[in-house]
Amino acid sequence: MQWVKEKVRAELVVGLRGPDPECEYHPCHYEGQDCSWCFCPFYPCEIHELGDYVRSSRTGEMVWSCVDCEYLHRPEVATYVAKRVKELFITDPEDPRLKSLFKELQTIHRPRGKAIMVLGATSDAGKSLTVTALCRIISDMGYTVAPFKSQNMSLNSFVTRSGDEISRAQQLQAMAARMEPDFHVNPILLKPKGDSISQVVVDGRPFADYDVRSYYGEFIPQHGFGIMERNLEYLKRKYDYVVMEGAGSPAEINIYDRDIANMGAAKAADADCILVVNIERGGAFAYAYGTIMLIPEEDRRLVKGIIINNMHGDPSYLDSGIAILEERLGIPVLGVVPHLDLKLPKEDSLGCKDLEGDGPDVAVIRLPRISNFTDFDALEMDGARVRYVTAPGQLEGADLVVIPGSKNTVGDLEWLRSSGFANHLTTLAGKVPILGICGGYQMMGSVIEDPFAIEGDEPSTVEGLGLLDITTRFDSRDKHTKQVQGEIAAGGGRVRGYEIHMGSSDRGGHDPLFLIEEDGRMKKEGCLDMGRKLMGSYLHGLFDLPDFRRFALDLAGCDAHRGEDRDHKDSVEENLDILADAFRKALDMAVITNEFMEVMGSDR
Amino acid sequence: MLVGSSSAAGKSTLSAIICRILHRRGIDVAPFKTLNLSLNSFVDRDGGEMGMSQAFQAWACGLEPECRMNPVLIKPHGPGRMQTIIEGRPREGTDLREEAFERAMDCHRSLADDHEHVVIEGSGSAAEINLRDTDIANMRTARATGSPTLIVGDIDSGGVFAGIYGTYMLLDPEDQRLVAGFIINRFRGDDSILEPAIRRLEEETGMVCMGVMPYMPLRLPSEDSMDLGSGGSLSGDDVRQAWMDNLDRMAEQAERCLDIDRILSLLRASSS
Repeated sequence: MQWVKEKVRAELVVGLRGPDPECEYHPCHYEGQDCSWCFCPFYPCEIHELGDYVRSSRTGEMVWSCVDCEYLHRPEVATYVAKRVKELFITDPEDPRLKSLFKELQTIHRPRGKAIMVLGATSDAGKSLTVTALCRIISDMGYTVAPFKSQNMSLNSFVTRSGDEISRAQQLQAMAARMEPDFHVNPILLKPKGDSISQVVVDGRPFADYDVRSYYGEFIPQHGFGIMERNLEYLKRKYDYVVMEGAGSPAEINIYDRDIANMGAAKAADADCILVVNIERGGAFAYAYGTIMLIPEEDRRLVKGIIINNMHGDPSYLDSGIAILEERLGIPVLGVVPHLDLKLPKEDSLGCKDLEGDGPDVAVIRLPRISNFTDFDALEMDGARVRYVTAPGQLEGADLVVIPGSKNTVGDLEWLRSSGFANHLTTLAGKVPILGICGGYQMMGSVIEDPFAIEGDEPSTVEGLGLLDITTRFDSRDKHTKQVQGEIAAGGGRVRGYEIHMGSSDRGGHDPLFLIEEDGRMKKEGCLDMGRKLMGSYLHGLFDLPDFRRFALDLAGCDAHRGEDRDHKDSVEENLDILADAFRKALDMAVITNEFMEVMGSDR
Repeated sequence: MLVGSSSAAGKSTLSAIICRILHRRGIDVAPFKTLNLSLNSFVDRDGGEMGMSQAFQAWACGLEPECRMNPVLIKPHGPGRMQTIIEGRPREGTDLREEAFERAMDCHRSLADDHEHVVIEGSGSAAEINLRDTDIANMRTARATGSPTLIVGDIDSGGVFAGIYGTYMLLDPEDQRLVAGFIINRFRGDDSILEPAIRRLEEETGMVCMGVMPYMPLRLPSEDSMDLGSGGSLSGDDVRQAWMDNLDRMAEQAERCLDIDRILSLLRASSS
């Protein structure tokens, strides 16, 4: 084995190298791996999370095998080892200090990710917010952390750098964790299409449509468990911590054995669980007690703490109740989190709430299948009042009318007609600016063709609102999912966003709204009819940068200079820090670090 | 008596529905709620102030609203400040709880004397263990009136089995004996999927499921801020008439979903 020692000696001298794309085996583990320690200076580490003794087929002796170990290929781990090797002047593979360095390394970065899971007693308990807070808290401590939710039902989705679709909530959590989100953080996304049928997105790509019965009857047993376990394993290998979010309540005892989103995932990850209850809706103690006691005993042991969330007023008011709850369950209440008013994107249609600014009045038509209403959060930065309107009369007084995205363009278009919006919008054109986003953009056109029944149950051609002279065609099942950047075609600055849609639209004779950078060229996107004040685009998130907010509000004749001239992302970052602070203050952090994070002997 | 596993579980509406069904069967029934915490109030013929939801339930019973149907009304105005109204009139002073409870029970007695049955609505969740000694509107009322009790759980927000089970389990054993059953409210979809869970809940607690009510996008007067924004439609000119039309539609649906005969026999057993 002398040649191996020589390889290690060479590595110790060279130090950090990063990935080695020249290597014929690259990438032997995963894209983005660090190759500095191709030969491990800690071999044989004998950490059973990383390898095992196997019998050599050649010599018949037991040898330490760690072929699947990715520990030292994690960039932050490789970097730490290189830094310490340099500081300690270690150049000899036999140096005894390597042993203590390895021990030290494990206190800085865990060989295998520790999972913590946040469960909710009800669907609006505040799981998602709690995961977001924990991700930021753990990241602030210097560890790497990833969020995870095996299965999310949401119409607010986000497109990752590699064009994969995940839920918007996990994207926000990834931001809190300071990691680049990929599909692993939300491998199953359910997008309701209506009539209790959902499009199921797996590993970021459309998989198939299911109704409730076939989802639990077929999809979960055949695919669900495997998808959940595979992606969890991936994250546990790459991050110090994985903070998992449950879905709905873990005590839905009628589907308990098919629930991959709650205790099924907790068991697979061996996660320590925290139950969150929302005190605002009343009955929090009953829900906490009932949820935990209805979880079968062998799984109940994983639940190690309770968070009472959304408290208005003095938390000491709850003390007597908390004491009874702790005594009866033998599980500690980790803290009472106050009600927080944060400017963070909301998760699902329950969160589709008006913004109460005193600035420009933006009316967003509340389509029955509205999607990606997180698009409008950024308008808060201009002090806008954003109203979700359900009747044409409510458009009165609006400075800007928005037809948002929809999961069912044809169905929601019919609703626009039956509810009287369609006629009203025609009379508004030219007076008040109208902006259609994605499905809303498609609706503004003259025709929507669905020759292969991709949107509806049968092939159809539907007349649009006729505001824009465009034709949309659903001609393949391909879904366009990508992040884009570019500029406002009429001048006025930058735009950033993402596209998620089936079908494509020809732009008729209209001017484009945006010029999008694609393969070094500028591609025309969307429509602008300056005279009739009509705008349409496929871009979600188009208000995130201040320039397009300014452009649209200028067109609306609003005083656009009152707004905050900055990226919506910066505001989100600030709010993530406020959120983490509030949780740090409310929670028993000693229990979180010692019991849940299992941080030992480290003074960080 | 109907109590909730959370606020906004649908107690007021379900009480109104049960009142309506019994009234339509020609049964003399009156509504009652010991204490209402609400800013939506109504004024009865004698100028007494009472909770809007009991006024509405009175109409459902074909009765004229009277403030003895809701003898204690607390109107919060500003943080930590509230006005207490007892039997329709504002009352000065603090520490009114015991007096309020006594007068409320007097009101209940007189209602029970005047009517064949009284349908009582609880307030908030029945198992707020931090309020065990101060809550007069839930199990204390049930005990004092000897009323068989049903727990109403809202399935739309998830965790309904945990909510109902937890509510039952956190009650004192003497109160548990009064709880006869539960109702699952606001269900969307095919309720056969709930069967195994309902059976287990029945086995573990001895309660009986009195029905699964479907989610109905209809609007009735909302009681408090927790209900705001829950949507629903209301059409017509006269809002009271529109509410009653909606209530009749709900009652027709409920006849098929609730075990009314069982509820009626509970009422008969307690009134005799």
